[in-house]
Amino acid sequence: MAYIGSAVSGILDTRLVAGKGQYTADVSLPDMGYMTVVRSPYAHARILSIDTSAAQQHPGVRIVVTGTDIQQWSQPIPHTLNPSAFGGKTTDIYCLAIDRVHYVGTPVAAVVADTRHAATEAAGLIEVEYADLPVVIDAERALEPDSPLLYPEWETNELMHVRFQGGDVEPAFANADHILDDTLRLHRHTATPLEPRAALAHYDDRAEHLTLWVSTQAPHPLRTTLANTLNMDENDIQVIQPQVGGAFGVKIPTYQEDPLACLLSKRTGRPVKWIEERTEHLMAGGHAREQTLKFSVACQADGTVVGLKVRIIGDVGALAAVGGWGMSYVASFVVPGPYKIPNCEVDLSIVVTNKGPWNAYRGFGKEAASFLMDRVMDRVADTVQMDRAAVRLKNFVPKDEFPYTQISGATLDSGDYAKALQAVMDKAGYHDFAEEQQRLRAQGRYIGIGVGFELTPEGGCIPDSFIGGYEGATVRVSPSGQVTVLTGVTSPGSGNETGIAQIVADALGVPLSAVRVIQGDTQACPYGLGNWSSRSLFMGGSASLYAAREVHHKVLRVAASMLQSTPEDLDCEQGRIRVKGQADREVAFNAVAEYIHKRAFDHHAFDMEPGLESTRYFRMGNIHHVPDDKGRINTYPSYPYAACVAVVEVDVETGVITLLRYVTVHDCGTVINPLLVEGQFQGAVAQGLGGLIYEQLSYDDNGQLQTGTFMDYTLPTAVEVPSVEIHHQEVPSPFTPLGAKGAGESGVSSPFGTIVSAVENALTPFGVTIHATPLTPQRVWRMIHATRHDNSGGADA
Amino acid sequence: MQTTIQLTVNNTPCEATVDTRTLLVDFLRDQLDLTGTHLGCATGNCGACTVVLDGLTVKACTILAADVTGSAVTTIEGWTQDTRQSGDLHPIQAAFVKHHALQCGFCTPGMVLSVQQLLQEKPHPTEADIRHGIAGNLCRCTGYASIIKAVQEIARGSGD
Repeated sequence: MAYIGSAVSGILDTRLVAGKGQYTADVSLPDMGYMTVVRSPYAHARILSIDTSAAQQHPGVRIVVTGTDIQQWSQPIPHTLNPSAFGGKTTDIYCLAIDRVHYVGTPVAAVVADTRHAATEAAGLIEVEYADLPVVIDAERALEPDSPLLYPEWETNELMHVRFQGGDVEPAFANADHILDDTLRLHRHTATPLEPRAALAHYDDRAEHLTLWVSTQAPHPLRTTLANTLNMDENDIQVIQPQVGGAFGVKIPTYQEDPLACLLSKRTGRPVKWIEERTEHLMAGGHAREQTLKFSVACQADGTVVGLKVRIIGDVGALAAVGGWGMSYVASFVVPGPYKIPNCEVDLSIVVTNKGPWNAYRGFGKEAASFLMDRVMDRVADTVQMDRAAVRLKNFVPKDEFPYTQISGATLDSGDYAKALQAVMDKAGYHDFAEEQQRLRAQGRYIGIGVGFELTPEGGCIPDSFIGGYEGATVRVSPSGQVTVLTGVTSPGSGNETGIAQIVADALGVPLSAVRVIQGDTQACPYGLGNWSSRSLFMGGSASLYAAREVHHKVLRVAASMLQSTPEDLDCEQGRIRVKGQADREVAFNAVAEYIHKRAFDHHAFDMEPGLESTRYFRMGNIHHVPDDKGRINTYPSYPYAACVAVVEVDVETGVITLLRYVTVHDCGTVINPLLVEGQFQGAVAQGLGGLIYEQLSYDDNGQLQTGTFMDYTLPTAVEVPSVEIHHQEVPSPFTPLGAKGAGESGVSSPFGTIVSAVENALTPFGVTIHATPLTPQRVWRMIHATRHDNSGGADA
Repeated sequence: MQTTIQLTVNNTPCEATVDTRTLLVDFLRDQLDLTGTHLGCATGNCGACTVVLDGLTVKACTILAADVTGSAVTTIEGWTQDTRQSGDLHPIQAAFVKHHALQCGFCTPGMVLSVQQLLQEKPHPTEADIRHGIAGNLCRCTGYASIIKAVQEIARGSGD
């Protein structure tokens, strides 16, 4: 175990730090054209006519297309997750709108021209005549019987209704000491990675072959959907993922622009490049999070939660093919998270509105469940006048009850939640905090402490979809002993290639520098499902481990013959294979590799299959798609978690919150590389913090996006994000060969509950209770201000 | 409208004809193939397009190529070349690698150039100086902690 567990730097870092990473926008081909997409300025309208004649005549223009052309030339894009498979409604999504637009930013036409400038000019010459329709931008309004309908044929705006139920909820409520009700509102925000989406499509007419370079997380599923959409054979399509500049979920699905660029390359016979603008991304690249979470909780005087009713209304914007609505489904699936609340029911309405479609964002609904459960615990604690952490400790699933199945079927794999929370409280000085708080309060400063706990189910596996619980990898050793690993998982810039290289280097006993990891090329890599749900290392890494072990077995067999020993008696380290305890009896790994390739008929290798290559697939053993006796299935195999403490200061004159400390104890099972895991966690906390306080996709009543650039959609900078104090608690997964659980997503959920709790704690003198995000200075100031003018009671927001 | 510009890019004199609407970042990327400079927002907020213009870091999406005639521009490619000591990375880049102060690498070239500017102005920055010094460069991956660590290490080791 030379590399597993050690803080190895990213194997791509030296290239990236010198500006040598090649992202999709950096790839160019001779004679390529530039695509510009014309988007709807209306949130809801019928398209009456589109006049492209002036654009067609514009110098440099190669092609102009509208929905009418698209409908003729292509099929609807297959949904990443089709709501109809979950008993919901659905609609066909083509590359361009056919006759109706449902949100500002809906693509309605496209131009390809010789230059970017010519394409933009021509796009401005396209005249679209709209008849505007009534707009609905509020999900609860959208559920009312007289609401405007986005898809009239549904006769409702409810995309889907889901219900999970377990135990006996009503008797639990009837016998409880306390019942509390509350409504929480999470606001709309998004991942918005720094690299915008981009595509370069090249249809080679002579070879009858399409190549798409694209900033994606899932090249193989993309190839399949392209084939369906474009009426092509998968064999004629190659998808290549260059370096990806961040993704965080938004680059999982097939977008409309992907097949569109391909189609226009095919029609023009020349390559087509498209680079998304930030404004387009913020309008149409995919939104997340906006949900109303209503709860009613029943508890006893000692803080035991005996019953929970939850009603979730997910405002998923308009329906697209990208499957983002699934996040609201997952939010309901995860409740009640890490807590043992057998009498529990969740009622979910997923609702469409005239806003941008949801698309995957790190957290994928788990952050909503985490925020909900943290708020439930805080409110119970305040009601029974117990410490907020103590109530969590009282209600956790005990460590000896794993695997533990929740009402939804979510089967928690392993862990010790109480130990993690106690450890993080110790590390953060939770118990001594009140003294410091009182001291500063006397000086007019308001600091507060909060606890939170996130459970982050990983490796999602949805029946009948490309969201699956398996992965493949090939390990190939060349005659010179160089190792190539080809994986079905990809890296969006998260570093899993380094973790996978560490696993393979250890399995083969070779130096890390001998290992090259190739990802994201459908022509080279084994079929795999790509990167999402923190699956790359624990699934892709496990497949790589299996393949490496198989290759290693052959190497040892030949080496044993050469050294007149047995495979069991050999040590293999840093490329040298030795007989245990006998330094003089050794052979180089490289020499064995060369022998196997060149002397397959010689006496050390003649009796085994030639070649030094293996492709293996790994499947998670704890996913169940056959319903149990209660009708439940388990769609997540891995349940990492993090206990967190936040310390904040609130400036009561301005409402500005400063996050002073964020401390965590995180369990992602066996840590393959602490540098990578901690980097992921820190980055996730920054996104959670950004989402809680700084970032908002804000719409006016007409469905116009008010925050369409980085001027007003403000990402946190180095000034706002403190360095997180990260500690590991390694409870290995019983279901992966190295004990690894998902890592990467964790950290994004806990800031919501933890920081909200800390802000309330800081503002205790003002009696503030927080129900809604974002915690902008304005909102916080108003809460404080309300009580200054009206001391009769607490302030709500 | 087209115009001809003369400037020095990465120590090499260069003459080019550009559309007057062309941004400096697009000129560098599309016409000179210097793709280490990235475009993230085109509103001057994210800093992925940071380059050095006549000795000062600027955001190349806020400047027209036609306006830089007579100037000297250094991109990450030129800076790496100039500062590379016998094949090794510059200490700033080496510290970034050591601390894994990057993930996807998209913001990194701009971030590295902003760090060199910061250290030129303040060889021994405090943590607050570092945070403010890179506040014009957004990173969506790292949460900045590893970048702060890397810069602190360089500042400690810089001797003067």
